[in-house]
Amino acid sequence: MRYALSKLAHGLFLVLGVTLISFILMVWFGPDQTYTLIGKNANPQQIAEVRHELGYDQPFARRYVDYVAQLFTLNLGASNSSGEPVSRILKRTVPITLALMLPGFILGNLLGIALGLTAAQHRGRWTDHLINGFSVTGMSLSFLVIIILLQVLLSTPYGLNLFPVRGWQVDDPGSYLKYVTVPTLSLILVTLGYNTRFYRAVFVDESGKDHIRTARACGASTATILWKHVLKNSLVPVLTRIMFSIPLIVISGSLLLESYFGIPGIGKATFDAITSGDQPVLKAVVGLTAVAFVLIQILTDLLYRLVDPRIS
Amino acid sequence: MTCWGKLGPVTPLIKSLLLLCLSIASMAMLPGCNNRSESEEAAPPATVYRHSMDGAPSSLDPAQASSIYANFLAVNLYDTLYRYKYLARPYELEPNLADGLPEVSADGLIYTMHLKPGVHFIDDPAFPEGRGRAVRAEDFVYSIKRQFDPATRAQGAWLWQGRIVGLDEWKENGSDYQQEVPGLKALDDRTLQIQLVSPFPQLTHTLTQGFSAVVPREAVDHYGQEFAIHPVGSGPYRLQTFNSASAVLVRNSRFRQEPFSLSAEGFDAVSQGHLGLEQLEGKAPPLMDRIEIEFVAEDAARWNSFIAGELDFIKVPVSQFDQVLENRDPPDLNATLAENYHLIANLESGFVHTDFNMDDPRIGYHPDPDRNTRNHALRCAIIEAFDWRKRNEIFYYGIGYVFDGIIPPAAPEFDLQKHHVPVARDLEKARNLLSDHGWNAENLPVIEYGFTSSVTERQMFEQLRSFLGEIGYPQEKVKPLTFATYGDYARAYLNREVMLMTIGWTMDYPDAENTVQLFYGPNASPGSNTANYNNSRFNQLYRESSGMQPSAGRTAIYREMNQIVIDDCATISGVSRRLILLWNRDLAALPDRSFVGGFFFRFVAPRGQSGAAQAAE
Repeated sequence: MRYALSKLAHGLFLVLGVTLISFILMVWFGPDQTYTLIGKNANPQQIAEVRHELGYDQPFARRYVDYVAQLFTLNLGASNSSGEPVSRILKRTVPITLALMLPGFILGNLLGIALGLTAAQHRGRWTDHLINGFSVTGMSLSFLVIIILLQVLLSTPYGLNLFPVRGWQVDDPGSYLKYVTVPTLSLILVTLGYNTRFYRAVFVDESGKDHIRTARACGASTATILWKHVLKNSLVPVLTRIMFSIPLIVISGSLLLESYFGIPGIGKATFDAITSGDQPVLKAVVGLTAVAFVLIQILTDLLYRLVDPRIS
Repeated sequence: MTCWGKLGPVTPLIKSLLLLCLSIASMAMLPGCNNRSESEEAAPPATVYRHSMDGAPSSLDPAQASSIYANFLAVNLYDTLYRYKYLARPYELEPNLADGLPEVSADGLIYTMHLKPGVHFIDDPAFPEGRGRAVRAEDFVYSIKRQFDPATRAQGAWLWQGRIVGLDEWKENGSDYQQEVPGLKALDDRTLQIQLVSPFPQLTHTLTQGFSAVVPREAVDHYGQEFAIHPVGSGPYRLQTFNSASAVLVRNSRFRQEPFSLSAEGFDAVSQGHLGLEQLEGKAPPLMDRIEIEFVAEDAARWNSFIAGELDFIKVPVSQFDQVLENRDPPDLNATLAENYHLIANLESGFVHTDFNMDDPRIGYHPDPDRNTRNHALRCAIIEAFDWRKRNEIFYYGIGYVFDGIIPPAAPEFDLQKHHVPVARDLEKARNLLSDHGWNAENLPVIEYGFTSSVTERQMFEQLRSFLGEIGYPQEKVKPLTFATYGDYARAYLNREVMLMTIGWTMDYPDAENTVQLFYGPNASPGSNTANYNNSRFNQLYRESSGMQPSAGRTAIYREMNQIVIDDCATISGVSRRLILLWNRDLAALPDRSFVGGFFFRFVAPRGQSGAAQAAE
């Protein structure tokens, strides 16, 4: 508990640091919404009025203190574009992004682990080469190309026409599967190569260690070696990779998936906020991502201690 | 051989992992799968029109209906006093909420309009007992005042700024809604009167805009900032759901019953006879139960969705023109698509032009008369070097309409006789202009061309650089000035920081006043005169024509103004892009992206029996 609290205290400073840097970037280098909100033939007075309404004329320090206060009280204000409270935007979009991203994220990692284990098991042989070749091909293909290709192949009359091209009219498990399948396949295809390469390297490294040779010499079965010795002893890097991907999935979502498949998740909301300069939404997403990273870091540290008792 | 030799033991591992993953995946779907159920009505609607847009509105408040996307929704969720006839081309005004065209005083200063009886806002919790009340003239007064209230962040005030007696003063005095505006009065519940500072013949056109839509004060007060996503209007449709990817509108069951009349809407049997519109005769819009609008900015996704039958309408992306068109001139649909879809190839109601910043002494006005003359020659040389044929071919599939000047083909005042000759470059003339005025590779100024960062914009810049290279402009002296977002770009050019900028202007109404004002001196940045052009003769003519009703005399003045800008070489202009619109043959409709715009939604109907036949049944 003391360990967790100490990590949390460190995390607070981290959050303050991240929010300060991101706030500076947003205020000084970020998009200025004034010029998208003024009408045609605006005069300097009208520009000043819009800047005032947006709070751009407030001193920097006051704006930052307000921002941090908003973040800690979770009173995130309202979108400058639609007037909708940011907390409601998050409540509306984050679950959609989770529902969209989690299957692909989980399957991509699990398949990556399975293929990584298989490749490590057959290191230097044709199975390994095949998996490596597949991985490199997957890594080389642009996400955009994969999305468009799968849309054409699976969702249009040019291909199998099995799934909707886009949309998110999800009411039951059947409609969920209908809308999530193609985005999930796209996500798996694009992440599997990276995951497999990473996990293979971890497992190959682990399988060359002395304790594996000892287990083998003792006559342990392949399954035992894989489960008990290789996978279990590789859990620290595996956990690190998985855990630190979570905030990006939950908060930032996947802009490309959401844009191309017409899914109103947090990724699209964030992109719209960036392009339109909707700072309340942007500040919330950046701040909450920082908080999520800190929490994940604490959780990951705790998990390290669970999976590897040597870590204290 | 090692202990790893067999693949078999890995299989149970994979199975376990897959099972685990499927369980988690099924759990994952639970939180995100109910986004529609909250506001959906129980009974599925009978008829649906699925429309696509290449952008999305961020607000549904008419006060912020500045984009074509926001305007499309605003005029369906709310009522405007006027609209354009559905089928008449050229476009003609038609009363909408107003009960007839305005009565205008002899001096053109007082407009009196009456509202139709029995028009109600939709039912909403903002009203007592949730029952929508009757629309009153006072609501219109309130709605226009909102445009001048800084707290609204409205974008439409420019339409009436300096035009209506007392309105600007009302704002200066603190935007107190209790305070009356002398020039904006509700004489009774159904009668409005607008008193102008000086004649403004375009006033009625401004009352077709989403900006002028009538909103109830109760709803604005009730929803506060969230009014932008809780529309409460009296339009033909009401909002069911809205997010960044789509909007669903459902029929407003209380919308006034006005039987459709082909002749009143300007039906032309020759050009529109094949669209099945005759069946609309006698029916009362809105004719669809539900409108589903998909906001799809990505061309490939929009096209795939349309081809898969998920959409009834698309503005075809330029990248698909090859697949869609059998012929370019006139644009003709290929045989396969023609079986299922109608095509219309409309010129946009606006144009694209590249302005010189005349406020920049490196290329614009210069206090030294000699340098001023040389700058003029430099601008003219750049215009002569610009190859519109290539620009049109590469970026607009060769079907854009290239013309000379600032009055585009969509304006009734466009001079077709003068512009029947294609705009052609003259490299020899350009080179001579440079050399005759002492310009050479060493002393030519660095040109900074501003644009929002994107592949297409970058390509356009590179093309411009190559055009200038052909007249001896050193490549290193033509530089890109890129901006991450349109807002940043707009900030730069409205602050006169960009030397050469490309602007796309969509006309607000079919009157060349709307484009010549782009070069009126007092409208200089941050106004819409982004070229910061200032010619005393032009300004004088603009003032002279501003109170004139459409007439041959006014057209002559506009054309003279057009020629002045051409002679001053203030802008590289221009092209009107041709929009290829496709829609399902199962619909009786004539979609429009121009002045009719979103008003056409109410007239879209499933193709079937005629109104008369249904009535007979």
